[in-house]
Amino acid sequence: MSDRGGDYSYTTEGPEVAGDRKSGFMGLPALGIADRFAALPLWAKVPIVLALVSFAFYLPFLTILPFAYVRTDLSSGGSDWGGVLFVVVIYMIVAIGLNVVIGLAGLLDLGYIGFYALGAYSVAIFGSPSSPVTKLIAEKFGLSEGWAVPFALCIPIALAIALISGVMLGAPTLRLRGDYLAIVTMGFGEIIRILSRNVDAVTNGPAGIIGVPRPPEPSENYFSSIESAHWYWLALAVLILLMFMTRRLEDSRVGRGWLAIREDEDAAAVMGVNAFKFKLWAFAIGAALGAIAGLLFASKQAYVEPTGFALNLSFLFVAMVVIGGSGNMVGVMLGAFLITYLPERFREFQDWRPFAFGVAMVLVMVLRPQGLVPSRRRAKEFEDRKHEAEEAAADV
Amino acid sequence: MLLKLEDVVLNYGKIEALHGISLEVAEGEVVALIGANGAGKTSTMRAISGVRGLSSGRITFNGEDVSKLRADQRMRKGLCLTPEGRGVFPGMTVTENLDMGAYTRKDKANIAEDFDRVFGLFPRLKERRKQVGGTMSGGEQQMLAIGRSLMSRPKLLLLDEPSMGLAPMLIQQIFSIISEIAEQGTTILVVEQNAKQALSRADRAYVLETGRIVKTGTGAALLDDPSVREAYLGVA
Repeated sequence: MSDRGGDYSYTTEGPEVAGDRKSGFMGLPALGIADRFAALPLWAKVPIVLALVSFAFYLPFLTILPFAYVRTDLSSGGSDWGGVLFVVVIYMIVAIGLNVVIGLAGLLDLGYIGFYALGAYSVAIFGSPSSPVTKLIAEKFGLSEGWAVPFALCIPIALAIALISGVMLGAPTLRLRGDYLAIVTMGFGEIIRILSRNVDAVTNGPAGIIGVPRPPEPSENYFSSIESAHWYWLALAVLILLMFMTRRLEDSRVGRGWLAIREDEDAAAVMGVNAFKFKLWAFAIGAALGAIAGLLFASKQAYVEPTGFALNLSFLFVAMVVIGGSGNMVGVMLGAFLITYLPERFREFQDWRPFAFGVAMVLVMVLRPQGLVPSRRRAKEFEDRKHEAEEAAADV
Repeated sequence: MLLKLEDVVLNYGKIEALHGISLEVAEGEVVALIGANGAGKTSTMRAISGVRGLSSGRITFNGEDVSKLRADQRMRKGLCLTPEGRGVFPGMTVTENLDMGAYTRKDKANIAEDFDRVFGLFPRLKERRKQVGGTMSGGEQQMLAIGRSLMSRPKLLLLDEPSMGLAPMLIQQIFSIISEIAEQGTTILVVEQNAKQALSRADRAYVLETGRIVKTGTGAALLDDPSVREAYLGVA
C-alpha cells in the first residue's frame, strides 16, 4: 500500500472544481462561445459561417466608420491594407500548420521557417525563368529562353519537397523527446536558410531569385504584386480549404492517435498506436502546410531571397501558436492575427514594438498559460501535469 | 504457456533494474508479482509490454518470440498493459478513453458489446461517461484504465499496481472486479505492493526483490510463508 494515505482519491476532486471556475480570462468566467456555437442547429450554423466568410472577403473594402479604424492605411505612413490582410492570412496558414505539429502531436518545432522557406524557394527555383535551375534545364534540353515549370506544377513539386524533407528531418530526430527535438529542428531551420544563401548554383545565393510565377490569372495583371486584395482573396480561399482539411484530420483516427501520443506516449503505445509513424505524419503534414504558405508568399512578392527566412520568424510562429492557444485552430489563428496585425496597425509606436511584445508575452504566460483561446483538452492536460508535479514534490 | 520470460535483463542507462527475470503465466491463470518499492515490479511490466526494450533475455507470448517487437505491435498480439497511477488520457472523456482501448479494432458491433461489458463492471464509469479523465478521482481513473485495457479484448491483461493510492474500501472493490474479469476468462498478470490482496486473489505468485525473483508458489502457500508474512504482510 502506498504511504500517500487512503483518502488521496477524494482530495483530487476539490481543487479541480476550483480550477474550472478560474478558467476565464483574468479571473472572468469563460464565455464559451465555441460551446454555444456547437449547440446551434445546422440551419443557424450555416448562415453564421457564410456571414463570417463573406465579411472576411469584404474586409479590403471596409470603409464604413467607425469600423474602418481597423484599417492600417489611415495615416500617410501606414501599410497597404490589402497587403497586411494577405500576410495575416499567410501566417494563419502557417499557424494551423504548426498547430498540427505542436498543438496536435505535441512536438516542439523551432525550425518551422525551414518548411516555409522550402515552399517559397521551390516555386522560385522551378517556376522562375531566371532561376539557375530552370536556365540549366532549358539549356540542356534546348528549350526556348524563358522556359519554366508552370505554376500549377510548382504546387505539387513544393508539396513533395516539403513532405520529403519533413520525413527526412523527422525520421532520425523524432525518437528524441522534448527539448532535444526543439534544438534539432532549430538547426534544420538554420540549415535551410544557410543553404539558400550559399548554394548559388541552385538558389542564386544572396541575390535571390526574381520572376517567381503567379497563379493563373482571370484577367491580365489580376495577380500583380500591387493588387493585394486579389492576393488576399486567393490566400483566404486556400486558408478556408486548409481549415476544413485540418479539422477533418483532427477528428480522424490519425487525430485521435496524435491526441493519445501527446497526452501519454507510453499509454498510447500500449493501446496500439505506433507513435513514431504518427509523429512522422504530423511532421510531414505540418511541413506541407508551411510550404503552401511560403509558396503563396513568394508568388506575391515575385521575389525570394535568404534574409526573408531568418530564424526569428520561427520563434514568432511558435509564439502565435502558444499565445493563441496550442491545439485550438481558432486560437492559433487569433494568435497569428494579433502578432501580425497589431504591429502594422500601430506603426506609430514602432519603437515600442519589442517592449510591447515582451510585456504581452509575459502577461499571457502569467495570466493565461494555456493561450487566449485554449483547447479544452490541452487545458486539462495542463492541470494534470501540474497535479503530477505537485504529487511528485509531495512524494520527496 | 501463454507468456514466458527467460532471463530478462532491463537497463536504465547504466543501471540494471532487472537482473535476469524468468517467469511464466499459463492461459486462464491469475498470477501476482509482489515486491517492495524499487524491487523492479514496474520495470518487469515495462519489459513485458514493450514500453522499454530488453538488454538481454527472451519473452515469448503465445509461443511467439516478441522480444524485439514494439509496444504497439505486442498490443496487437493481445498483450495489454494497464499502466500504474494516472495512466488514463487526461484530456479525453471516459467514452473517448474507452474508445482508445479499441483503437486497433474494426469490429464495431463487438465494440459496442464491450462498452456494455465495461460499463457493467464499472457502473461508475457509465455515470461519468462525459467527464474528462484528468478530473476524475484516483479510484475512478484506475477503473477507467482497466476498462480501457479490456476494450482491446486482451489475451493477457497486465495490471500495474491497480491499488496504488486508493482508499482501502476502493482497493477491495478493484480487486473484486479483477477477480470478476478473471472469471470471465481473461488471463491476468498483476503487480502489487498490497501483497495480502494480491496473494489471496492469485492462483500463483512470484516475489521480486531488487530485480530478482526470490520466491514462487501458489498464492495461498506464499500467504502462509513466514518470510513473506514478515516482509510483506507486516506479521511476524
